[in-house]
Amino acid sequence: MKFKKYTDNKLGETVYCGKHPSGLEIRILPKEGYTSTYAVFGVKYGSIDTAVKNASGEFETIPEGTAHFLEHKLFESEDLNAFERFAKTGASANAYTSFEKTAYLFKGSENVGESLEILLDFVQNPYFTQQTVEKEQGIIGQEIRMYQDLPDWQVMFNMLKVLYSHHPVKIDIAGTQESIAQIDADLLYRLYENFYNPSNMVLCVVGGIDSEKVAEIVDKNIKRTEGAMCERKFQKENPVPVQNYIEEKLSVAQKQFMLGFKEDISEPLLSLEDEIASQIMLEAITGKASPLFKKLLDEELIDMGFGSELFNGYGFSCVMLGGTSKDPEKAAAIIKEEFARLNAEGISTEAFERAKRKFYGRMVMSYNDIDDTANMLMNLYFNGYEPFAEIEACKNVTLEKAQERLAKIKDEYSALSVIGPIS
Amino acid sequence: MPQIRMLTDKVRLVSEPTDKFKTGCISVSMALPMDERMAANSLLIYLLKRSCKAYPDFSLLSGKLDELYGAILGAGVSKNGESQVLTLSITCLADKFALEDASIQLEAAQLLSDIIFNPNVNEGSFGDEALATEKRLLIQRIEEELNDKRAYAFNKCISCMCKNEAFGKDKYGTVEEIEAVEMADIYAAWKNMLSTAVFQITVVGAADADKVASVFEKNFENIVRQPAEIETVFIQKSKHFNRFEEKFPVNQGKLVMGFRAGMSHRRDNIFAMTVMNDIFGMGTYSKLFANIREKMSLAYYCWSRLIVSKGILLVESGIDTDKEKKVSAEVLSQLSDLRNGKTDPEVLESSKRALRERHTFTTPEGILGWYSSQVLSDEIITPEQMVSGIEQVTMDDVCEAAKKLSVDTVFMLSAQEEAEDEI
Repeated sequence: MKFKKYTDNKLGETVYCGKHPSGLEIRILPKEGYTSTYAVFGVKYGSIDTAVKNASGEFETIPEGTAHFLEHKLFESEDLNAFERFAKTGASANAYTSFEKTAYLFKGSENVGESLEILLDFVQNPYFTQQTVEKEQGIIGQEIRMYQDLPDWQVMFNMLKVLYSHHPVKIDIAGTQESIAQIDADLLYRLYENFYNPSNMVLCVVGGIDSEKVAEIVDKNIKRTEGAMCERKFQKENPVPVQNYIEEKLSVAQKQFMLGFKEDISEPLLSLEDEIASQIMLEAITGKASPLFKKLLDEELIDMGFGSELFNGYGFSCVMLGGTSKDPEKAAAIIKEEFARLNAEGISTEAFERAKRKFYGRMVMSYNDIDDTANMLMNLYFNGYEPFAEIEACKNVTLEKAQERLAKIKDEYSALSVIGPIS
Repeated sequence: MPQIRMLTDKVRLVSEPTDKFKTGCISVSMALPMDERMAANSLLIYLLKRSCKAYPDFSLLSGKLDELYGAILGAGVSKNGESQVLTLSITCLADKFALEDASIQLEAAQLLSDIIFNPNVNEGSFGDEALATEKRLLIQRIEEELNDKRAYAFNKCISCMCKNEAFGKDKYGTVEEIEAVEMADIYAAWKNMLSTAVFQITVVGAADADKVASVFEKNFENIVRQPAEIETVFIQKSKHFNRFEEKFPVNQGKLVMGFRAGMSHRRDNIFAMTVMNDIFGMGTYSKLFANIREKMSLAYYCWSRLIVSKGILLVESGIDTDKEKKVSAEVLSQLSDLRNGKTDPEVLESSKRALRERHTFTTPEGILGWYSSQVLSDEIITPEQMVSGIEQVTMDDVCEAAKKLSVDTVFMLSAQEEAEDEI
């Protein structure tokens, strides 16, 4: 197979991209001086995929948490499970499910070719029985319980629940005890067939391996050839949240909060430039060097963990800010005031340039890590971008663009989520 | 191989230069005895992180870090055996990645040394407001340990098990001690740290170790060094078994079992202990993972962790509260199998392979962590030396190491019957 080379000279990195005849996208970044290799085999199938397009072209609802359930189950096989197979190569293997994708991965420095074969093989060979599905319901049940006790997790999901009326980003990634109880082996096979086709997947490999070697292993190990990238259903959300406030009591020491601003989007995906402009804008306004951070800290309304981010994906986009606070409502009011002030007066060039420089530096730093790099290559592919597009977008962000993104943050689209201590 | 040099009495610089990373990292570990100064020491390290003479407040210093392409300044407190270790570190971009000419690395090294040696002190005061804020944040940090029940239960087991040893103390000191700290104590703690702490400066990646050495050497010229003697008590065998329980309104219980590991110093039988711990409950091929999770479906996680600096081992698992007896009995039964050689020889090979991988560091932070954790060891060992020691371990060695474990303390964080929300 043929690879196209993408090089960023300043960064000193080259990525080889290619489309395998099966439809599988491959992205490889060989790292000089690295003995270890990290490979991630990703599927565009995450927790927001709660509907699947059937033969007549209609979307049919499926239980919540199936992507995550499948992630757990693919490790199993009739013979040795995937963990047992990786134990023979020494690689450490894992997997995760997020809102928009499921990813299977390993990291290792010896027998990398063999590990890559195992990765491709186990993900392509589903094996479920009613008995193994039931066993997993117990393990995942414990995982769900663990998350229910994590305030950081709960404060975010509660916010998503009130911010979104129907978008599945509001549901827990693992589903619920009730929804996973509806999953059986037949359903898993059917969903597997639908989502796990090479055209809906990507393989990203970073580290001490070259592109020819990867191509050779892929050629030998990819079985399926039919299928297409799975479509998602875009339903425009009303930008007004379901509720503006939600509070839950948990066993915590202090109140925690998350303030969310839903964005009114007309297209399912933001452009990369918009995304990065938002991140830089948030850093300029809320970062540790900002007057807002100082004010909140001086008034004892936040701690050092206060932070903000843009949270976006297919059909959803919102700005989130949060931390620990004795008075979340007051903190939220001050944040909103500052957004309004800067919307009117404009972000200073100095603050913008400083934030942009920080953002650029952190992006370059992330290339140290083969894990982060491979995952980023995967995300870029699933969102339709070429390698290094994020660095180019960062360099091109202007103050005007950042200001434009700030204007999208509106009080009437906001909600506040609070976790309070059980008294 | 790292380069090792002594700058002055018990001030060691360990460096591993390489240009394969995008960054240079410097960390300064300062080890002190766990005495009555612990609370003042903890406040000191966070006060130092706030500012320095050249950037006299938090916002200015944060702005400077952003300008240095998002340099990351870290401060922390940890326990290393019965020593309180204060750490300050800086990570920043290698100069060649700057968008215009810049000497980020040298500036960062100077900034870090300024933060330690030239803090923003006026007539013995770090500023009343700064101290009040850091007291509030540190107390909050301690109180928030409750939010993460997994870490809370883990630490609680240690404090119950080692209640008559210095290791049982909270790494920051107690809330009461923190409240009682006065400015004069902070100033004294600073002077004390500079003259008595055992220092290790660890330098990895693009940072120029010679320049770092000369920056620090110069600062030590005017300091009279009287390094502290730091000892850790190793209790090799449990004297009697204790069980402690706390109830919380949570969904999932946390079981932590503490064992004495039979070690008499931090490198005692270290290779066999490491392999034994790995086979017991670290890898996915380990006895705890394979049985408690995969076979019995009792937990999402069940791991063991060996703390060599104190010679103890802990097993932790998130379980249903009513399964405590079943799980703890199974943990002991797996330990008994391990002692009696009922372990597949393949597992020993898997463990060695995995440990080899775990000692192949792929990030500068990984390398930094490996060396800086050795601040209190007279001789530095490299990951390669560790791996070759592990290679020699036999199944008999593993059984013998397992026989040295004696269960000492069980801590159970139980779920109360009612975990309902009350809004």
